[in-house]
Amino acid sequence: MKKKGRLYEVLLSIPSMGWLVIFFVIPTVLVIAMAFRAADPYGGIGEGWTLESIRDLGNPNYPAIIWRTIWLSVVSTAICIVAAIPVSYHIARLRKKIQDIILLLVIVPFWINFLIRIFAWKVFLHPEGLFKHLLVILHIADSDTLLLYRPGAVLVVIVYSYLPFAIMPIYASAEKFNYNLIEAAMDLGASRITAFLKIFIPGIRQGLLTAFVIVFIPALGSYIVPDIVGGPGSEMIGSKIAQRTFVDRNLPHASALSAILALAVIVPAGLSMTRQLFKNRKTMGI
Amino acid sequence: MSDFLVFDGVSKSFGSVKVLDNVCLTIKKGDIFSLLGPSGCGKTTLLRICAGFEEPDSGRVILEGHDITRLAPNRRSVNTVFQNYALFPNLSVYENIAFGLRLKKIDPRQIRREVDSFLELIQLTDHADKMPDKLSGGQKQRVAIARALINKPEILLLDEPLAALDLKLRQRMLVDLDNIHDEVGITFLYVTHDQSEAMSLSDEIAVMNNGVIEQTGTPTQIYEAPRTSFVAAFIGDTNFFEGDVVSVKEPYSMLNVDGFTSVEAYNDKMIKTGERVYLSIRPEKFTITINRPETTERTNMVQGTVEEIIYMGYHTKYWIRVNEYLISVKRMHDRYMLDEKMLTWGDPVWLSWHADYCYMLEQYNLRDEALLTIPDEEIPDESGSNDTADETDSNDTQGADEAEARP
Amino acid sequence: MYATAAVLFFFYLPIIIVIGQSFNSSRFGGSWKGFTLNWYVKLFTDRNIWHALTNTLLIAASSTLLAVILGTLAAWVLYKYKSRIQVAHNVIIYLPLVLPDILMGISLLLFFVALKVTLGLFTIFIAHVTFSLSYVAMVVYGRFQDFDYSILEAARDLGATWNQAVRKVLIPYLLPGIAAGGLLAFTLSLDDFVITFFVSGPDSTTLPLYIYSMMRHGSPAVINALSVILVLFTFIVVISSKKLGEGKK
Repeated sequence: MKKKGRLYEVLLSIPSMGWLVIFFVIPTVLVIAMAFRAADPYGGIGEGWTLESIRDLGNPNYPAIIWRTIWLSVVSTAICIVAAIPVSYHIARLRKKIQDIILLLVIVPFWINFLIRIFAWKVFLHPEGLFKHLLVILHIADSDTLLLYRPGAVLVVIVYSYLPFAIMPIYASAEKFNYNLIEAAMDLGASRITAFLKIFIPGIRQGLLTAFVIVFIPALGSYIVPDIVGGPGSEMIGSKIAQRTFVDRNLPHASALSAILALAVIVPAGLSMTRQLFKNRKTMGI
Repeated sequence: MSDFLVFDGVSKSFGSVKVLDNVCLTIKKGDIFSLLGPSGCGKTTLLRICAGFEEPDSGRVILEGHDITRLAPNRRSVNTVFQNYALFPNLSVYENIAFGLRLKKIDPRQIRREVDSFLELIQLTDHADKMPDKLSGGQKQRVAIARALINKPEILLLDEPLAALDLKLRQRMLVDLDNIHDEVGITFLYVTHDQSEAMSLSDEIAVMNNGVIEQTGTPTQIYEAPRTSFVAAFIGDTNFFEGDVVSVKEPYSMLNVDGFTSVEAYNDKMIKTGERVYLSIRPEKFTITINRPETTERTNMVQGTVEEIIYMGYHTKYWIRVNEYLISVKRMHDRYMLDEKMLTWGDPVWLSWHADYCYMLEQYNLRDEALLTIPDEEIPDESGSNDTADETDSNDTQGADEAEARP
Repeated sequence: MYATAAVLFFFYLPIIIVIGQSFNSSRFGGSWKGFTLNWYVKLFTDRNIWHALTNTLLIAASSTLLAVILGTLAAWVLYKYKSRIQVAHNVIIYLPLVLPDILMGISLLLFFVALKVTLGLFTIFIAHVTFSLSYVAMVVYGRFQDFDYSILEAARDLGATWNQAVRKVLIPYLLPGIAAGGLLAFTLSLDDFVITFFVSGPDSTTLPLYIYSMMRHGSPAVINALSVILVLFTFIVVISSKKLGEGKK
């Protein structure tokens, strides 16, 4: 009977696991493999193996792009988390009914198509737009300053896009948090701020971690945002990969770049997941 | 009565843990048969093997002459009442009960007749269309029972059915179960860790410990003639004594119990002079007096001091110090006690008992002494009738300690 | 409290601008040039948009269906079996959720190119199933958290075969999770741009792709109108599904 159970397990796992192995795992491995192929001059993958694409990674522009990608992702993640914390704290302490309404309000913009939301920002930050006019009137900006097409714009829009993703897990942790602990801390002499920093923040550790992963990693791969509201000076890895693919039609090159992104992201994510899973299995006594 | 349900040499291990060790049981048709034991003793596993959710590593299960050991659960004429009821959340009370009949493609009018009669039996006719999440624990329990019984199984398995109910409800359900059994006449196999349930309900009990059946018998047999120290200590309360046989004068023998006194005990075990025996004497078998009782034949007596008293209304528990021994004694108050001089701490007393009241154990294990209550650890039972401190949690779910793996 | 208000304001600001601009007869939305419904008219008369919409719906429906089947199956296996295979299974299902879209896009593109598969609606379909699967699996798995396994045993005990137990007991129980997962998959598919962009062919346009091309090459003002329509539509869908959910109770 044990053997039959194993057989069923394997059979039932094949559809989903099989699908993902074929259409996810293999293609991802392919990305790394293709980095070593030659480019077909007419676009696409050519014949033969070569290290040419790898060498191209030494392109002098790349370090700047990689660096910019990293720091934009880090800063936007930081902003998202820092903004999400007080918001989650506030929402989690509201009455249940109001909580649901506010959460709905937070989520609703998210249902609107991603592209359209980014486009909305493009309209908003347009050099001839209302906002710009306002800034000029308030003497914060000249009529020459460009709000769009710079890293700043990319930062703002990335934050805009991923803030709900940061709020959700942090709110989930904040909701489970026992607020009596803060009162206990204050009772023992801590100020509001100290209690907040030393008790609440560690208490929502799990949510903070999840939020970090959920924002940082997709941010690293941002493509549309720099493409639409960023300019030539705000390229990120994502937009570079797209450029190599669609403009230069040099797939192996795009692979090489993607491979770097992939390795940088998959390895830590996969490792921490496996470790977490094995830990869970141990405590469950399996 | 023929052997209705037989477990023949059933063994089962989960991983390295041997949960059932060569279990042999015979159950008579129409009986309420209980498997009684602490968490982890294997009783739930045995039940699940009978239901078909586990297969034994060795041994057979034979129902009315048919070997059902490898039969799938849905093909057995066996139905189970699960510990947490397992009612289908998406079906109403009516549909839950009708479930088994619908599978058999029975005519809907016939189904309606049968379900209605069972709804009446469990007194839930007005709740037929309710969903399970709107029912109380006791109601869910009754629906679970009806759902199982309506399929007319050869045997009904009940897995700690009353564990999740509170005390008063439990007591009422016990009566209901008994009535239902009388009405329906189906054999019950009942698993529990609660001895008062087992004792009050069962025609026969099998006491289990660590995958082994310690003793099978009627409730009275189990209580008055425990085979092993485990049975003596797990059920009710008792005192253990160790002695050497000094002389044998059938059917009695004289024992020398160190640090105590010479004890005359009834001998049904064919022992010889010089052998070591273990005695179990239940607390209520002692008579406690201030004055020395008359010396009569077959009466044992000893002097001691009152060390601990717990007054329980209709009886008092005493612990009497006799040298190294702390003897637990129960005294019924069968007269108006306010006129009596009550014993108090430090009083010298006499304990006396008839030789017939000592019972010789077949097996004794020192660690079973841990099941006995001693004064510091006395936990008064809610009902006041069961004095043995339960070493199990009352809401133990499905023998979590039995290292259950999902099939 | 102020943080929350500020954040909400931040969220809705651009949307309000867009809604406003959709009625602005100025082509590039620099300044208000008068009220007009022109853009809406243009929107409805654009045949390409309807074509793209059809593709989008077709793909969303079909990929959701397959993703729901695969994802529910995955959730069941993850719940029931806890072996080393499942650890790997779990990792494979979880990874797509945390990886950037662009990786999945380029990897699938390479995959199809290497196999010489023509890019088109079919490749988009495959891509959508691939990323939706994980989401459905996660949502349905969540439903298993409070699941009482003994109701399946009870069904078998009462005479049901595994097949019957699954159909009559398990699936009804999972249905809310399956519906939620399906809804999520459908939304993700409707909305997807990056991955679709990488694996689509010249003839297979979806709505997001079309919107992008309009942004790049066409009349941006029409997009405002489209946005408003989509916002309205989303709102209606959400409100009605909430009402349906409440109605069931």
